[in-house]
Amino acid sequence: MRRGCEEMKHLKVIPENCTGCLSCMLVCSFKHFKYFDLSKSRISVSRDDEFARFNPTVCILCEDKYCVESCPVGALSVHPEKGYILLDDEKCVSCKVCVSSCPYDGVKWDEDEGKPLFCDMCGGDPECVKHCKFAEALIVVP
Amino acid sequence: MDGSYKGRVILIDLSSGSIKVESLSGEYLTKYGGGRGAAAKILWDEVDETIEAMEPENIMIFSTGVLTGTHAPMSGRSTVTSKSPATGRYFKTSVGGHWGLALKMAGYDHIVIKGKADKPVYIYITPENVEIRDASSCWGKGVKATNRIIKNETSPEVEIACIGPAGENGVKFASIMFSYYNAAARGGIGSVMGSKNLKAIAVVGDRGRVSVVDPENFQKIVERVREELYNDTDAYTLHLCGTGATTDWLSDMSILPSYNFKRGKFPGAYYLTGKYLREAGYLKRKVGCAACIYACHRFTTVDEGPYAGTYSGGPEYETLSSFGSGCGVSDIELVLKANEISNDMGMDTISAGVAIQWAMECYERGIITKEDTGGIDLSWGSPEALTTLLEQIAKKEGFGKILAEGLKRASEIVGKDSWKWAVESRGLEHSRVETRGAFGYALAFALNPRGPDHLHTEVLAEFGLKEESRKVIKKITGSEEYAKPYLIEKRAEIVKWHEEIYAVTDSAGLCAFTSTASFGVDEEALAKMYTYATGYKFSPETIMKIGRRTVTLERCYNIREGHTRKDDTLPWRIMNEVQEDLLDKQPEKPVVSQEVLNKMLDDYYELVGWDKETGWPRPDTLRELGLDFCIDPIWKRGDRR
Repeated sequence: MRRGCEEMKHLKVIPENCTGCLSCMLVCSFKHFKYFDLSKSRISVSRDDEFARFNPTVCILCEDKYCVESCPVGALSVHPEKGYILLDDEKCVSCKVCVSSCPYDGVKWDEDEGKPLFCDMCGGDPECVKHCKFAEALIVVP
Repeated sequence: MDGSYKGRVILIDLSSGSIKVESLSGEYLTKYGGGRGAAAKILWDEVDETIEAMEPENIMIFSTGVLTGTHAPMSGRSTVTSKSPATGRYFKTSVGGHWGLALKMAGYDHIVIKGKADKPVYIYITPENVEIRDASSCWGKGVKATNRIIKNETSPEVEIACIGPAGENGVKFASIMFSYYNAAARGGIGSVMGSKNLKAIAVVGDRGRVSVVDPENFQKIVERVREELYNDTDAYTLHLCGTGATTDWLSDMSILPSYNFKRGKFPGAYYLTGKYLREAGYLKRKVGCAACIYACHRFTTVDEGPYAGTYSGGPEYETLSSFGSGCGVSDIELVLKANEISNDMGMDTISAGVAIQWAMECYERGIITKEDTGGIDLSWGSPEALTTLLEQIAKKEGFGKILAEGLKRASEIVGKDSWKWAVESRGLEHSRVETRGAFGYALAFALNPRGPDHLHTEVLAEFGLKEESRKVIKKITGSEEYAKPYLIEKRAEIVKWHEEIYAVTDSAGLCAFTSTASFGVDEEALAKMYTYATGYKFSPETIMKIGRRTVTLERCYNIREGHTRKDDTLPWRIMNEVQEDLLDKQPEKPVVSQEVLNKMLDDYYELVGWDKETGWPRPDTLRELGLDFCIDPIWKRGDRR
């Protein structure tokens, strides 16, 4: 059971609805970096094309905040109003513990910068959801 | 060039093993629109009339779209351009999936392949490297197995375009299968790949990058296009039910090609719909090509009964109609099995089905008997025809060997009057549109440089089924009154507009469901997306001129091969026989007579500046389009007339 933080607006993923189009990843990269690079997306979709199994993973602003708890240098915190994860670039030592600590595969890794990528809900109006209107694999709740 | 099209080409000569990377000049983008248009120019330059399709000197051009790699909706399509072994002429086949996205991310816009490897090989491309690898592990294998093997040998992230046994064996309608189940289906281009001993092109692009020149404005136009596409009347139906959404409606309207185009109605049509696939539980997943917001592609399985264990992508409408109503089959599980066989063997489901239904009619008429078929029952609806015979075609065994030559040749071999119900022209099997029921389609099919097929000039708008299509017809002709499929008037204008916009839609890497079937992308939107993505200035007028130039260059290519006005034709049955289920509101026989076609062709030639006697673009027309280099090869050769 993947539970997002109930009080905070967050992304809900419905994997069986995912069509594997990767629009979300392209859109996410473009929104944050102004170019298209699948490895720069805060959401990722694993694909098994032979059996059409697609599984998107993204930070769902979970209740438990394993990443924050496990960060050895205290570089992660929770945005007080929006509920998403904030990274303190200065403190981060690129140890990747946050990535491995997340049971939802919700933390992505920026190879160029050596820093984690967390979904920030595009500030509250996520772009990826707008390209997933029919499939509804990604929806905003509550 | 900056932005989403850089004109970067990988040139591979399989004979020598040489691999080079070159950049095209800006003209390939500004004059030809990149993608399909640029490929048409490359084919014109590299493969003239002295080179046969299956000779090593023929080339294959794999092209990504100019917008592929961006989030422009439905921008993930690619094209493959070559000389076709089925028609002996220019051929472009377009395809979805994720392969084009991977190639673009790896940093390339086109791959041009010539020569022939001395043993089976595949090409492996990463952002850092291009190499030719031994393919002995997967030669002879089906498409699914080939994907698995190459993934094991390379990377789990790899995107693969490959041929199956049909392409290796030179079947005249062998396809190239992308991302497992997306087919670059038509024209036997898979056999060109097989003739080069090339099994696959595997690409890893997931660490690459694509940019646009003006991100802010690009975002704005993408938002506009996205919302218009969502709002199209048919959009959600396409998501829910796929391209087979309306098979039953077509039957109700008596325009569902059935029993080898003898009839327009099919009693079991409901079982051949996307609705039924959903309701009966065969549909397991709606699948989207790269950057698609509709996801009309399907993934289906059969879980019980004689075909339990069947799984594949699709079936699309064309397949449902070709193997279903066309062959007198209402058993959807049999259609799903035939679809799986064709996809895994790497065969075009349209041509395979049209060839089989022709054989069924021969069987019904007693021209072919069980002695000829090696015991296979070819009665209408026969399960053996869609299983055993299909596999025989791919392997070129038994009676399948004759059908594997394509309908034109097969009807010559079988002889008698069988050519009359061989629903092909110029070597290409007619796709699943009742052209006797839609004159714009009939004209488009007759003019189509690849032969009688819908996916080059989709003129669905002429039916005027929804507000969006009536608006398009009004824009083209000045009145919604012309949004009727049984008119001769204004068909030339309607076809011309669709040819032009669809050429650029293809070059952009966009799907037909953006500009000519559903609507959201018009010439203005294309101009803006091209401008903001590439940094070159495009206007709606230059976009349409690029489209006209592309279509004209493809025409000139065929003329250099010997094409004249008499080749702008349709299958004999379409021009001479009435289908049996005509409704009162449909016109009387013969629906697309030579007279009707001649009138529409005259109108069209006049409109686009082609000579009416020869059907060749006039020198002044070619000069106006900047295609001066075509004038002498066409007009200085008197022996072509």
